[in-house]
Parts: sequence; C-alpha cells; structure tokens
Amino acid sequence: MHEMGIAASVLDAVHQELHRYAQGQGVSPEPGPQRVAKVGLRIGEFAGVDGESLRFCFEAQVKGTEVEPIELEIKWCRTEDGWRGDELELAYLELEDAQQAREAAV
Amino acid sequence: MNRVAIERKVLNENDLIAARLREALKGTGTLSLNFIGSPGAGKTALLERTLERLPAHTKAAVLTGDIQTENDAIRLQRYGYPVRQITTGGACHLDARMVENHLTDWLDCGLELLLIENVGNLVCPTSYDLGEDAKVVVLSVAEGEDKPLKYPGIFRKAELMLLNKVDLLPHVPFQAELARENARRIQPAIEIIETSCTTGAGFDQWLQWLAARAERKKASAKLSAEAVSVT
Repeated sequence: MHEMGIAASVLDAVHQELHRYAQGQGVSPEPGPQRVAKVGLRIGEFAGVDGESLRFCFEAQVKGTEVEPIELEIKWCRTEDGWRGDELELAYLELEDAQQAREAAV
Repeated sequence: MNRVAIERKVLNENDLIAARLREALKGTGTLSLNFIGSPGAGKTALLERTLERLPAHTKAAVLTGDIQTENDAIRLQRYGYPVRQITTGGACHLDARMVENHLTDWLDCGLELLLIENVGNLVCPTSYDLGEDAKVVVLSVAEGEDKPLKYPGIFRKAELMLLNKVDLLPHVPFQAELARENARRIQPAIEIIETSCTTGAGFDQWLQWLAARAERKKASAKLSAEAVSVT
C-alpha cells in the first residue's frame, strides 16, 4: 500500500538530481544535458516492500512525464548476505546524454 | 551510460512526519508504544488491563485504530484515561499523519505514556513508523507458533513480544517454547513476556517493563533539556 509513496519519493529524488545537474552542481560526469535511464534501489528483505507493487506504482507515476522511459533496478538485500534487511535506499542513477537518447528514440 | 552513486535513504512522507512526531515526543519525554498484532490477538484487552493497573496519576493516553467503529475507544474509555479512536475508513494500518492529527492538544499535557493500538494486521502496520519508541507485537496462543516465521517483518522490528492468552495453553495445541524459538530466530534480541488478560498473569513483569522504559524516556528528555539550558 505504501509502495505508491515510495515510488513518489524515488521520482522526487530523480528530479532533485536532475535539477542539481541543470544548476551546474552535483556529480554529472558528462557535459551537456543528461537524462536518467535507470534508477538503482537497494531494498531489504524485511523492509516491507513488495517489488511487483513498487514497479507497478513507479511505472504508473512515470507514464506520460518527461522522465519516461526510465528503468527501475532493485537489488534485494538479504540478512544472510550480511545486510541489515531493512534497507530502502537509492543506490545509484544511470545517466545518459539527453540529446543522444532523443535521437536514438526517433 | 554513466553510473552515479547516490547512496541515500528513500524517505517517504510518512517518515518525515514520524520524525517530527518523534522529536515532539522526545521534547515532552513521552514514551510512545505502537501495539501491532493480528485481529483477535488481544490488543484491546491488553490495553484495558494495562490501564486498569497503571500506577495512579500516570499521565497516559490511548489512540486506538480500526477500520470502522468506535467500539474499542468505548471499551478503553472506562478506565479514566483520555482515549481517541482513529477510524481509518479502509486503510489496514495507522500512519504517522493520522497519529499527528489525533494527538493535537495532547502534546501539551505532559503525557508520560502514549499507547497506540494499531489496526489488527501483522503486515502493513510494520512499514509505517508512527514516531514511536518501540513496537510491541502481540501474539496469542490461539494462533500458530510459526507466525514469527510467516510474518518476519514485525517480529524483526518489535522490541517486545507479548505472548498473550497464556491461560488458554492447557486447551490448545500451541507450543509456547517453539513460538519463542521462532521469534528469536527472526530476532535474537527480542524480549518476550507471557501475559493473560483473564488471569492477570505476566502483568507485573509487563508493567515493570513499561515503567522502566517510561522512566528512561523521561530521564533522557530531562537530560536534553538541561543540555539546552547549559548551552
């Protein structure tokens, strides 16, 4: 049920990062306008997040907005692998050149 | 494509409100507990017996959540403490905003103890921080010993498990030791107290736990107030 809120926060973070790059701050490694191609999340097995539901909510909120298309990658963190198990973190963004992406899409 | 590390916690709106609530309750030194359990585990009865046996003049208040009806608030109001019902109108859990909206003037009354009875559900309430000091999971012996394995989330996050309705143990096939083992498999540090609201068994121990936690909370509020006045 709270996956909608999580998806919204993830998208907020994406917008914030893009805004920072547009302002010339942040760590965008390339010159020129960037777009986010992929978002990497880390979610603990006990974080109470349903992956399917989160994907559904994320896609629903992305649809028809300027960040589309954007891929969501979830890394599940299991306690047996040494994770805490309650992670809910934005791990990374994958950026691509906005111009090139537009051309490739045409 | 370029990968940029972000490494930041995803905070949703609920977490932000919960943090605000926690800060407010820290200031007032109020111990806040979030009771989570299946429907019928005995959460309301536990709170009734608890209110009945609280030391006189304890400044306590109860928020009780249900999808519909004021029944639980009516039950709990008999004990002379302020009680407010939160009817979620369909939502299967309480969230921090509901708690904040219902606390209102209670934040100014110097509450020592805020007891929050969540909607009967072992799943969704687990994911919603209500700004509480601790989650208390209520499991009754009329359920399965494997509940901690089936619903690990809440048993992982709860500080205390109240194994309730132990007066029924002679009549049901429930293996209490197995239930305790299962809970500790999920979280080795979980504290467990066995209670019966019918016979009052375990309530001395539970009320001691409660008093010790409330004292700790009050002391930490005093310390931080002194720290502020020094600086």
